[in-house]
Amino acid sequence: MDVFKADVAIVGAGGAGLRAAIAVAEADPSLTVALVSKVYPMRSHTVAAEGGAAGVTQPHDSLDAHFHDTVAGGDWLCEQDVVDYFVAQAHEELVQIEHWGCPWSRTADGRANVRAFGGMKIERTWFAADKTGFHMLHTLFQTSIKYPSIRRFDEHFCVDLVVDDGRVRGVVAIDIASGEFRLIQAKAVIIATGGAGRVFRENTNGGIVTGDGMALAYRHGVPLRDMEFMQYHPTCMPGTGLLFTEACRGEGGFLLNKDGYRYLQDYGLGPATPQPRNKAMELGPRDRLSQAYWHEKQKGRTISGPHGEVVHLDLRHLGEQKLRERLPQIYELALIYLGVDPAREPIPVLPAVHYTMGGITADIRTAAPLPGLYSVGECSSVGIHGANRLGSNSLTELLVFGKVAGVEAARDAVSTQHGNPSALAKLADAARESVLSVVAPHDGGDRIATLRREMAQSMEDGCGIYRSGSTMQATCDKLAELKQRYRRVRVDDSSAGWNTERLLALELGYQLDVAQAIAHSALQRKESRGSHQRLDGYEQRDDVNYLQHSLATYQGDDAPRIGYGPVKITHLPPGIRAYGEAGEHYDAVSHAEEGARA
Amino acid sequence: MPEAVKSVELEVLRYRPEQEDAPVWQRYRVPYSHDMSVLQALQHVKDELDGSLSFRWSCRMAICGSCGMMINGKPALSCETFVRDLLPGPVRIEALAHLPIERDLIVSVDGFVKKLEGIKPYLIPKEPRTLAQGEYLQTPEQLERIESFSSCINCMLCYAACPQFGLNPDFIGPGVLALLHRYNDDSRDGGRAQRMEVLNAEEGVWSCTAVGYCSEVCPKHVDPANAVNQNKVNSAKDYFLRFLQPKGATR
Amino acid sequence: MSHGRPGTRGPYVRPMRGWWRRDPFFVRYMVREATALAVLVYAIVLTVGVVRLAQGEAAFDGWLRALRSPASLLLHAVLLLSMVVHAHSWFEIMPKTMPIIFVGGRRLAARTIQRAGWAATVAVTVVVFALALWARG
Repeated sequence: MDVFKADVAIVGAGGAGLRAAIAVAEADPSLTVALVSKVYPMRSHTVAAEGGAAGVTQPHDSLDAHFHDTVAGGDWLCEQDVVDYFVAQAHEELVQIEHWGCPWSRTADGRANVRAFGGMKIERTWFAADKTGFHMLHTLFQTSIKYPSIRRFDEHFCVDLVVDDGRVRGVVAIDIASGEFRLIQAKAVIIATGGAGRVFRENTNGGIVTGDGMALAYRHGVPLRDMEFMQYHPTCMPGTGLLFTEACRGEGGFLLNKDGYRYLQDYGLGPATPQPRNKAMELGPRDRLSQAYWHEKQKGRTISGPHGEVVHLDLRHLGEQKLRERLPQIYELALIYLGVDPAREPIPVLPAVHYTMGGITADIRTAAPLPGLYSVGECSSVGIHGANRLGSNSLTELLVFGKVAGVEAARDAVSTQHGNPSALAKLADAARESVLSVVAPHDGGDRIATLRREMAQSMEDGCGIYRSGSTMQATCDKLAELKQRYRRVRVDDSSAGWNTERLLALELGYQLDVAQAIAHSALQRKESRGSHQRLDGYEQRDDVNYLQHSLATYQGDDAPRIGYGPVKITHLPPGIRAYGEAGEHYDAVSHAEEGARA
Repeated sequence: MPEAVKSVELEVLRYRPEQEDAPVWQRYRVPYSHDMSVLQALQHVKDELDGSLSFRWSCRMAICGSCGMMINGKPALSCETFVRDLLPGPVRIEALAHLPIERDLIVSVDGFVKKLEGIKPYLIPKEPRTLAQGEYLQTPEQLERIESFSSCINCMLCYAACPQFGLNPDFIGPGVLALLHRYNDDSRDGGRAQRMEVLNAEEGVWSCTAVGYCSEVCPKHVDPANAVNQNKVNSAKDYFLRFLQPKGATR
Repeated sequence: MSHGRPGTRGPYVRPMRGWWRRDPFFVRYMVREATALAVLVYAIVLTVGVVRLAQGEAAFDGWLRALRSPASLLLHAVLLLSMVVHAHSWFEIMPKTMPIIFVGGRRLAARTIQRAGWAATVAVTVVVFALALWARG
């Protein structure tokens, strides 16, 4: 097997992976970085992010306000020291990517503009039209070209971590074009492979978002943290699940039910004002908005469409000119895919799975419990988002913690030696054999798509916006059955080069493992918090028993073991998540109390 | 009329180098629905009929640039091309023109990526600025100058459209030259002189004969034809100014 | 990048033969390029005229007579049509050759540039006609 020796290997070349690669190259240009990605970097799913990246900017804003919004938005499941660090670094990282050429949208006097976003008290979301992720990704990719120490392995599919003597020593990947396996030795490995939204039926994600890195770390004993928290984005396209950015609501869009009524005011987010008000109505947090949709659906107040029950996202009052200027991409999306002109008709939308709050357990330095392993971005649970992510925090996360991961991995690599070559070669060969047996021809097996569809439907049924013990248990049972059937999955294509069917089979394996972690973590959390909401007697938040992170540990073919770990709470004790008018009142009271305490 | 259509035929150009010398056409019949994209039709083939059909895709919303292919003879993104506009069929699907086919609908992209890497596609600031000084200032009008050219998703439809690239694969090509222009025209950038050599080369702007099909097929309205042809003037100016300036002078 | 690995063929390169017939856009492009030949032919005709002028009145009158022949009239009709097509296709591509121009804060549209081109063409044609009529009368 071909062997490449790098100092740092990074799996995944999206926003987080590229930022980490640049950070290693800047920290120490003498270190070789192997940047391994199953797609060319500009195809990474960062490209689809639309709305913006948050960082305290305006003079009347404060780190404390961003901290408060994030921790309350996360329903107090955030690691508060991590959030403190995050909000403090945000602005500088946004300036750094601007220096690298990111075309941020501007105010008239040439400064970076900010917009309102869900759950944020004060406008602090930087944006590049409504294609922020696209611009950030291309800026990072193009900037990475400056550094000769970054060696890319484009279209290389990672199949395993190489762990020897208690430490990660590299990765094994398939060169997709030829089908050859490659061992990439590294002294430190950063996983930046993104989320796992594709395990659900209706999602905003691209085909590549299949939880690869999460599964790889998980299979090597690293706990996956807070996996039950899957974010439903409230405004997605029926049928495809494609995203209509939160910025639609930041610019003043309304959500209407079948009576043309702004129904969010019935769910503690009112009162309804004609102008957008931060943290109220359509600018409430995503979990609340998705939950409101579910209730409207139960009440029969949604609109029936060819792809299910929808509500209306009304942007007509913004006018065509403003829409074309501030929301050009979603204008085209509505027009081309739905034949709807947003300036003249409301857009049918419904919630779809968008973001994986949980992931590989990471400390404030992005280090995993397994030495030599780091994780960053959506695949990682570093502790910012808790039980519900605020929009525009994740793009900033890629920058802030991408840098941390790069710096930490570089530091680690400098003081480490490569592993024993023959031991690593043996492990790499074993990984290859394992892969080949998964994708070997199996008589009478299910098609990949059959298993994938059953998994995705079951996850939507059991682990949707609202959950109950019986539905979650049914999903757990179904996943166990699917894992058994997966052992004989049918792969028709036996070619070596460009065998994408083989890769789909491997991705299905990753998804089944990650889905199990999600479903079992959800079943065990007997409370409702953030985006994990139950209907079976556990409708309330339970800070006594469940102010804790869930930790799912891989048990092979058996169900994962779910344990719990403490949440670091430093200066904001758990309070009430209040939005709308109630939120303003609550904020005023709690600030007064904080002032009195000081 | 659309409700009467239950299925549609696809004709796909296959190429499996491990089995055959040259590409062959293969037919598939897939169930039809009104909002189905060509990508979804191909996914049905791969999921249910023939797992060996290989093609690139990801985002499904025309922003990742993966799914470019020839659909009924025209370069298009399969995720935003709808079967309802191609009825009654058959829908002819082939790998992007002018690029070598590696397998089925998969073309060689690394030539394009190498060209992209070769133009210094990053901001070379006109003047230094520390992070503490905050962002460079750029007015909305200055930003609008580069808005279209910075929208390229690297889908390579323009390369499939450009006959000059088809005839001469060394031509840097519309997409990469548009990106070069995006950086030259960015008000914060001062690297124009460093990128001149690429522009001036035979394989730079001078391989372009203003066919204009690239801008026609571009799904993001980047207008690469404009980027390339504007720069013919710049390249000519640079050539003649060279005689007026002493050696070693920088602009 | 692995190509031509043992036991398999490399990437397949499709031939470019007949490329311009594959799409109506390319056919129109070739027609545009061909109209340049019409311009060349007319330039030759005019050059011959200048040479004949230098050779004296008899030679020049001979040239003028030749221009009035049926064959010449047919040729000139074809050339005129080609020139119009040439102008149209040139104005179509002209906006692509120019940098973005801002007028009063808004971007100058391609259509405006094209209309300006036609306006200039018509104006020059009118002026030339007027001069010709004045020279005759």
